Amino acid sequence: MALQFEVVGRFNRARASKLTLPHYVVQTPMFMPVGTQGTIKGLTNSQLEDIGCQIILGNTYHLALRPGAELIDELGGLHKFMNWKRGLLTDSGGFQMVSLLHLADITEEGVTFQSPVDGKPMLLTPEESIQIQNKIGADIIMALDDVVRTTITGPRIEEAMYRTLRWMDRCIAAHKRPDAQNLFGIVQGGLDPVLRDICVRGLVERNLPGYAIGGLAGGEDKDSFWRVVAQCTAALPEDKPRYVMGVGYPLDIVVCSALGADMYDCVYPTRTARFGTALVPEGVLKLKHNAMASDERPIVSTCSCMVCKNYTRAYIHSLVTRDAMGSQLLSYHNLSYMMRLSKDLHMSIVEGRFPEYVRGFLRTQFPKGDVPQWVCNAMEVAGIDISSCCAPVPV
Amino acid sequence: MRFVVTKPSAGAGAAGKARLGALYLGGGGAAPPIETPALVVPTRRGLPSFISRDLLDRLPYPDSLLLHLSPIHFIECPSTRTIKNIGGVHEMVGLQDHFFIASPGDSVESLPEHGGTNKIGAAFETPSGRRLINPKDYMDIISSTRPNLWASIADEVPAWVTEKRNRLSIDRTLKWLDDCLSLDQEKGASTLGAVVGGPNIEHRKKMCN
Repeated sequence: MALQFEVVGRFNRARASKLTLPHYVVQTPMFMPVGTQGTIKGLTNSQLEDIGCQIILGNTYHLALRPGAELIDELGGLHKFMNWKRGLLTDSGGFQMVSLLHLADITEEGVTFQSPVDGKPMLLTPEESIQIQNKIGADIIMALDDVVRTTITGPRIEEAMYRTLRWMDRCIAAHKRPDAQNLFGIVQGGLDPVLRDICVRGLVERNLPGYAIGGLAGGEDKDSFWRVVAQCTAALPEDKPRYVMGVGYPLDIVVCSALGADMYDCVYPTRTARFGTALVPEGVLKLKHNAMASDERPIVSTCSCMVCKNYTRAYIHSLVTRDAMGSQLLSYHNLSYMMRLSKDLHMSIVEGRFPEYVRGFLRTQFPKGDVPQWVCNAMEVAGIDISSCCAPVPV
Repeated sequence: MRFVVTKPSAGAGAAGKARLGALYLGGGGAAPPIETPALVVPTRRGLPSFISRDLLDRLPYPDSLLLHLSPIHFIECPSTRTIKNIGGVHEMVGLQDHFFIASPGDSVESLPEHGGTNKIGAAFETPSGRRLINPKDYMDIISSTRPNLWASIADEVPAWVTEKRNRLSIDRTLKWLDDCLSLDQEKGASTLGAVVGGPNIEHRKKMCN
């Protein structure tokens, strides 16, 4: 194991922690921006450091295609290649099974992709995925899992869960750098609590450095989403980090943190920035709207990021449909926002005011009191009273 | 702003034309002078491409203080009123200490198109199509953006046009200069006159005079 996990604050299921990794000491709850090919689109490393980014996520599938694992290894690993001194996490390539399914064929041996570069078949086995991730050299690496969409029903889900466990053993056996890289297992099982339970138990038996909850954020209803997270966080070890993959929206992160999750990743903040949308405490702000053309306010008046300190909505509006700079500035703001969210979650737990923070967050996002029912349900399980945030139910 | 020739070219008589200079930006800033010849950094809507203000600080100083501004970039938005309310281009892009030199054309997004230029104004090819800009519209943008220096609009023509067309470009450019100056609240204190005349050296000299 190449990490230390220390819980430094709690409120019911929620926890704040100090996670010591080979390259960096991080605080959780924590959001990790996605730098698929070794870079966050639109931001430099120095800007990422300025906004407080702790870990960046890279993707094995994409990095193996370009520039190639051998080259990265020869040049000293991904940290050195991209000149990033803080934490790195690489996904196994498993998600591409879902997102690129039309190009993939999944068997017990592994996943055969049709390379989008030259059309040639590319086989990704658990051993190959770990070998590539060993060469990339990230602080946290992910096991290759058999991912299925939660919107799929039937025996495929059970098949994928058991295969995930079998592949976990192959990943463990193939992992050549356990003293430098932490191999996380990924809980699968769709929306079936029985399958999820089997998978959690199976992974916990293998005594891994950390665990991820996979297969979510793929179109399932929110009520199912939070219940799976709640079930898994309740069953996963207290003394190890829990990572909900592909999450996401700030509201989802607040809920999952209340339920006991620690780490998150999603392309949403940067991707939505490229479509001209900014993250704000009230939800989102679409900078393309004509109303923004003459709005002389910053994106968020209380935000201290470089963009909000220097640029008006009107100026950014003039960029978003015409210039890449608009995407760049919005990406900077959105990631700053997510880093601030992470920091606020951590500090509110440490300082014993997490429930107040959650209530303030919900009041701002739902000023009319129309907090979604799934959030109410989740907070009840998390033991946080949000009744003051919800409008009274009409009699 | 003040410009001083610090070292003329070595060589007897008129043989050497090159010179070294120092551009003092003034404005109360403490920036050392910029040595010339100097590159004026191109911008799109006031910001260098892909370089936000925090990254611009990392470029060589004080040379990176010189920025080019094309007023044509602001034809559509923000409106001149909004730009004025924000406080001009320096405030709008968060580069209060930088020195903006405005001229209509650039090499990417506002390309002079002499085929569309007429007596009303100069034409430019932009990403949203060909735009015709007259002195009044141009000066509206200049007065709202408030660059440190600005060049008047010119009827720029390629070297292969006829002599008649070349003379016309000179006359129009001089007229538009007068029009711009008449609309300038500073009465030309920050104005750069544009010299046209094609390949005809005599035309160019007369225009300089």
